[in-house]
Amino acid sequence: MSAVKVNVRVNGTAYAREIEPRMLLCDFLREELELKGTHIGCEHGVCGVCTVLVDGESTRACLLFAVQADGAEVRTVESLAKDGQLSPLQQAFRENHGLQCGFCTPAMLMVATELLEHDPDPSLEDIREAVSSNLCRCTGYFNIVDAVRTAVAMIKEGKQ
Amino acid sequence: MKPAAFEYVRPGSLNEALQALSRHAGNAKILAGGQSLVPMMNLRMLHPAVIIDINRVPGLDAIRTDGDALVVGALARHSTLRDSPIVAKHCPLMREAYRYVAHKPIRNRGTLGGNISHADPASEMPAVLVATDATIVVKSAKGERKIAAANFFIGLMQTALQTGEMVTEIRIPIAPANQGWAFEEAANRKGDFAMAAIGATLTLTGGVCSQAAVAVAGMSDRATRLSALEALLERKPLDDDLIMRAAVLAKSSVKPDSSYHADVDFKRDLAEALTERALKNARARCK
Amino acid sequence: MNSPHIPKHIPSEGYIPQSRQREKPRKDYKWIGKNMKRVEDPRLLTGQAGYIDDIKLPNMAYAAVLRSDRAHARIKKIDVAKAKALPGVLLVMTGEDAKKVTGPTAQFASPPVVQYCIAVDRVRHVGEAVAAVVAENRYIAEDACELIDVEYEDLPVVVDPEQAVHSTGDAVLHPDRGPTNLAYRKTFSFGPVDDDFAKADRVVERRLRWARSGAQPLETVGAVAEYHSGTGKFTVYGNSSFVNYVGWLVGASLGVPAHKFNLIPVTTGGSFGSKLFTHKVLTLTATLARACGRPVKYMEDRLDNTMSCDNHGSDRIYYCKLAVKNDGTILALKFQVIDDYGAYLQFGYGTHGNSLCQIVGPYRINSVEMELVAVLTNKCQQGAYRGFGSEVTNWMVERMVDAAADELKMDPFEIRRKNFIRPDQFPYVIPTGNLYDSGNYPAVMDEALRIADIKKWKDIQAKGRAEGRCIGIGVATCQERSVFSATEFWSLNPLDTPGFQLTSSPESTQIRIDPTGNIQVTLGSPFWGNSPETIATQIVAEQFQCDPGNVNIVYAGTDSAFNSTGPGGSRFTVMIAGAIVGASVKLKEKIRRIAGQMLESSPGDLEFRDGKIGVKGVPGMEKTIGEVALFAHYFRLGLPDGDEYSSGLDASYVYDHPLTTMPAADRSHLGIFYPIMGHMCHMALVEVDPKTGKVKILDYVAVHDAGTVVNPMTLAGHIRGGTAQGIGSALYEHFYYDENGQLLTASFADYLIPTLDEMPAQIRVGHVETPSPFTEYGIKGGGEGGRMGAPPALTRAVEDALSRYGIRVDELPLTPRRVRSLVRATEQRQGRTPGI
Repeated sequence: MSAVKVNVRVNGTAYAREIEPRMLLCDFLREELELKGTHIGCEHGVCGVCTVLVDGESTRACLLFAVQADGAEVRTVESLAKDGQLSPLQQAFRENHGLQCGFCTPAMLMVATELLEHDPDPSLEDIREAVSSNLCRCTGYFNIVDAVRTAVAMIKEGKQ
Repeated sequence: MKPAAFEYVRPGSLNEALQALSRHAGNAKILAGGQSLVPMMNLRMLHPAVIIDINRVPGLDAIRTDGDALVVGALARHSTLRDSPIVAKHCPLMREAYRYVAHKPIRNRGTLGGNISHADPASEMPAVLVATDATIVVKSAKGERKIAAANFFIGLMQTALQTGEMVTEIRIPIAPANQGWAFEEAANRKGDFAMAAIGATLTLTGGVCSQAAVAVAGMSDRATRLSALEALLERKPLDDDLIMRAAVLAKSSVKPDSSYHADVDFKRDLAEALTERALKNARARCK
Repeated sequence: MNSPHIPKHIPSEGYIPQSRQREKPRKDYKWIGKNMKRVEDPRLLTGQAGYIDDIKLPNMAYAAVLRSDRAHARIKKIDVAKAKALPGVLLVMTGEDAKKVTGPTAQFASPPVVQYCIAVDRVRHVGEAVAAVVAENRYIAEDACELIDVEYEDLPVVVDPEQAVHSTGDAVLHPDRGPTNLAYRKTFSFGPVDDDFAKADRVVERRLRWARSGAQPLETVGAVAEYHSGTGKFTVYGNSSFVNYVGWLVGASLGVPAHKFNLIPVTTGGSFGSKLFTHKVLTLTATLARACGRPVKYMEDRLDNTMSCDNHGSDRIYYCKLAVKNDGTILALKFQVIDDYGAYLQFGYGTHGNSLCQIVGPYRINSVEMELVAVLTNKCQQGAYRGFGSEVTNWMVERMVDAAADELKMDPFEIRRKNFIRPDQFPYVIPTGNLYDSGNYPAVMDEALRIADIKKWKDIQAKGRAEGRCIGIGVATCQERSVFSATEFWSLNPLDTPGFQLTSSPESTQIRIDPTGNIQVTLGSPFWGNSPETIATQIVAEQFQCDPGNVNIVYAGTDSAFNSTGPGGSRFTVMIAGAIVGASVKLKEKIRRIAGQMLESSPGDLEFRDGKIGVKGVPGMEKTIGEVALFAHYFRLGLPDGDEYSSGLDASYVYDHPLTTMPAADRSHLGIFYPIMGHMCHMALVEVDPKTGKVKILDYVAVHDAGTVVNPMTLAGHIRGGTAQGIGSALYEHFYYDENGQLLTASFADYLIPTLDEMPAQIRVGHVETPSPFTEYGIKGGGEGGRMGAPPALTRAVEDALSRYGIRVDELPLTPRRVRSLVRATEQRQGRTPGI
C-alpha cells in the first residue's frame, strides 16, 4: 500500500511524515514523534487512555488513522506543563492524589482540559460526565473529580 | 490489535466520494466517524481494501430544517446533534436518546450517518429513526434513493444500502409541538450499548391517544416498531391501566434474542418495564 | 503484650516467636503519618513515566502472537510458509520450535503442570499462544499471524467445574499428570470440628458461587528483550513486580544461569497482583529475541491480556456449613470448595493457602474444616488478583454470618459484634495456626457507624420503603492479612512434596549518602502503581530527621539488586520500612561516630535534627549531614584507624519476614504465615430497581485498620480504588465462558470495568490505628483491603434492599440480569409483585 503524506501540528510544532494509511494516531504519536505520554490500553475505544485533543476535541487516538489528522492541531499531555512547571490541572491531580499508577492520567488530563476550555466553571455533573469517558483502575475516580474541582478553583484564583 | 493495510482515498466532494465508491465496488468502506468501523478493523473483523474517508466532503454535516423535515447530514457528529437546539426543538426524542449514547470522545467523532450504516441493533439512533418514521437518503454514482427507516435496517448490522451507495442525509419529520416523547434504556454501564431501549412518541387529544409510535432497540437483530402496542393505544384514553396493558403487550410481542448480558426473559422484562416508563414520561410531556 | 490466645489443638509452648520490632510505635512522628505529596507524580503527570511500551532499543523488532480460537484441541499441523514469506517478517516461531530452545515456564504446583510459552501439541484454552511472529513493526507481525494456517483436531471442552471432576479420556487436559481433571482434593481439619458441630443449636447451610473476574490494569503485560550472543547474556526490560523472584526462574526456562539474565524493572501501569511474575511474556520475548538476533518488544494487546494473562481471579463454588448457637455464637465452619483453576496451575493452590490465614474472619470461631477440590478446565489460568483468594473467603464468611443472622432473626451488626475477637485477646492464634497480631474490631465498626450516620441511613431506608423503593443496608467486617510470606504457596501441597523450608521472603535496600549529603535509596522492587518512592522517602526522612527533598529513590535490576521479593500480598510498606530501619541504624551509627570526631563529642550524645547531627541539648553545636558526608567520603585519613571509619557512607540491609513459622508436619495447623492482620468495616447503602435489576450505590463507608499509617492520603487512595474494584467484582465484572469454552466477555465492551458513573458519589474513608507489635513502627499492609470488603457489603445491601422479595443472594456478580432473575423467581412463585 502506498504511503501517504501527513502534515500535522502537535503541541504547537509542525511535523511532516510519510506513513502507511493504516497507522493509528496513537502509534503515530508514540512511534513516529516519540511522544510517549499518550498510552495504549484497549485499542477498541473503550478504556480511553489514548485520548488526545484533535482540534480541541477529545478523541480516541486508537480510533483515528493518523492520516485523518492531516492539517489538524493535536494536543497531548506533553503540552500541559510549561517551562518545567506543572499546569494548575496537573498540580491539582498531585494535590488530590488523583493518580496512582499514572497510566490513565494523561488521558484524564486531556478530557479535563477539553472540559475547562469549553467551560471554565463546570458543574459537578459536567465534571463527572467528562471523567466518566475514560477508565481508571486505581483510584475509583473520586480524587480525579476532586482534582478537576480544585483546578477550577486554582484557575479562578489565578485570574483574579 | 492493529488494522490490516488498506488504500486510502480522501474525496473532496460528494461526487468524488460516490465515484470512488463506484470504482471500488464491494471492496471499499466509507470512513465517517470511524468509532465502530475502526475497532472492527483493529480487531481484524473487517479487512476493507479501500477506505474512503468522507470527513473532508463539504456540506455533509449540516443540520437544518426543510419544510416539515429536520434534515441531518450524514456527517453530523453525535456531540453536535446532542447539543443542537434545532434537534432539541424538532426531534426531542433524539435529544433524549442522546443521553444514553457513548461518551464524549466517541460522540465527538461518531456520526449519525455512520451509526445507522453500521446498524448495531443495540444502538439508540436506529430506534429513534424508526420511531419517527424518518427517511434515509442514500446516493450512489447512479442516483439517489429514499428509504424509510423501517426498511433501512434489515438485519444484524445489515442495511438496505447496496454496493456503491452511501447515506447522505437523514430526514426526520418535525415533531408536532404538542407531541410527547420519551426514551428509556437499560444498559450495564452508562454509555454502553442498550440491553433494551424503548423510544416513544405520543399525541393526546382530549386525553385520548391520537398518535403513538413505540420503537424498541437491543431486543433482536434490528430496531423495530411495536405496532400491535401502538394499535392498542390509539383512540383510547391513555390512563395508567392502558399503559400497564401496553407494557404487558410489549413484553409478549417483542422477539428477543439472548446474549450473555441479557437473556430472553430479562429482555422481555425490560421491554415491559421500559415501555411503562417511556409511555408515562411521554404522556407527561404531551401538550 | 497480653498473654496470647492459642487454640488447644496447637502446642502453645514457644509457638509465637519474639518480636523483632526495633521502632516502637510513637505519636510524635515528623514525616510518618503525614499526607506527603507523592514523589512519583511529576513524571507520571507529564507523560514521562517510562512504561514498558515506552522503551525502544536500537534495531528493535516487534512481536505478535497468534492465539487459539479453540478451547481444547490437538494441534495437527501449523503452516507458517505464507507468514514467513511476508516482507518485513523476521521470524515465525511455533511451540515446537520454541520447545527446542526454551523449557517450560516456572510454576509452583505439585505435582507440576507443564506449561510452555507457546503451546506444544495441544491448546487448552481460547487465547493460548499457538505461534509468535517477529517483524519490523507490530502491524506486519499481525498481518503475518493472519497468514498462519493451523489445523486443529477438536477435543471435548470442559467448562463446568463440578463436571470437570468426572472428566475422562480426551477431555483430560493434562494426561501426563494422570487420567483426571481433578488437580487436587484434600481435607484439612483445624480443631475439634465434629465436637463443635455436635454442640450447635443450628447448622446454617449455603451453596455460594464466586464468579471469575480479573485485575485488568489498563497497562497490559509487556517485555523488551535483547540477547547478546558474545556474552550469552539476556538484558530484559519487563513490568513484573517480582523482579528478583522471577528473573532467575525465567533464566532457568531459557537455559541460562541467573547471572546471564538481567531483568530491569520499569514503571508499571498498574498490577493489582496481575504482574507479579509475567513470566510467560518474559520467557516468550526473550526466546524470540535470542532466535532472531535483534531486540524484540512484545506487548500484550487487550485481548491477549484478557484471554491469556497469568491472572484470572478465583472461580469458586462453596458448600458451607456454619455451626451456631441460638444466641448467635458461632462455633465452627465447615466447607467444601471447588475451585476452577483453568488450564494451568502456575501458583499451585496458593490462593487457598492464603485463604486459610484468615478463614475465621474477625470472629471467635473455634474450629474449621476445608475440603479443597481443585479442578482443571479449558479456561485461562488463575493467578493473583487483589486479595489472592482471601477476598473470596471474606465474602463466603460474611455471607454465612448474614445467613446465620437471618435464620436467627438477629441484627447483622449485633451478630458480628457478639462474635468479634475482643481487643484484649491479641495476639490471637486462629484454628489454622495463623496469628492475628493486633486489632480492635468493635472500634472499627463504631467508627464506620459514626461516619455513615446509621440513623440517617435507616431513615432514608424507611422513607424509601414507604414510597415502595427497594433500599438496603449492608455491612461487612473483614480481615486483611498483610505481609505475604511464601508459605501459602506450598503448605497445602501433598506432604511428600520435597524441598520446602521456612521461607523468609526478604526485602532489601541500600542507602547511600553522597558527598553533598543527599540520601539515595535503592529499592529491589519496582514501581508497580503504588507509592514506593513516597513511602520510602517518608521513612528515610523520619530516620534521618531530614528534608524529604534530600532523599532520592532508584530501582535496581537483577544484576545489581539484592535479596528482594517485591510488592504483593500487601507487604511492601512493612517490608521496606524494615529494610530502611535496618540500613539506617547501621548508617546512623557511622555518622554518629564520624560526627563525634568532628564535634569532639561522644557518639551517644548526638542526635539527628533538621537535616543535621548535633549534640543533644546544645543548639548550634552540630554538623549538617552534608558536612559529615563530605568528610566521610574524602577525608577519612583525618579519622582514627579501623574499618568502622572506612571512606564513604553507605549501608545495606536485608529485612526478613517479621514473623513466620513452619506448618505442623501433619498440617493440623499451618504455622504463623500471614500474621500482620488488618481489619475493615465496609457499609453500603444501595437502591435496587426490581424491574430492571439495576443496583445504585447511594452511599458507602469504608473504615480500615492498617496499623500505623505512613501516608493517610495514599492509604485512602488504595481503599477507594480497591473498593471500586470490589464494586466491579460484586456488580459488573465476569470472565464468562460459554459451553464451548469461548470467552464471551473478552473485550472491554463486555468485560465491564466500572466507570465513574457506576461509582457512588463518594466512598467515605476512615482509619483506625492499632499498631502491630511485630513490625517497624507498627505498620500493617493495606494494599488490597478495598476489594476484600466491598463484595460482601454490597451483596448484603442488595439482599436487604430486596428483602420484601425474600431473596437470598448466593452468586456474583449481581448484574442487572441476575438481580432481575432473582426478583422474577419470587414474582413467579408468588404470582404477583409483593406488596410494600
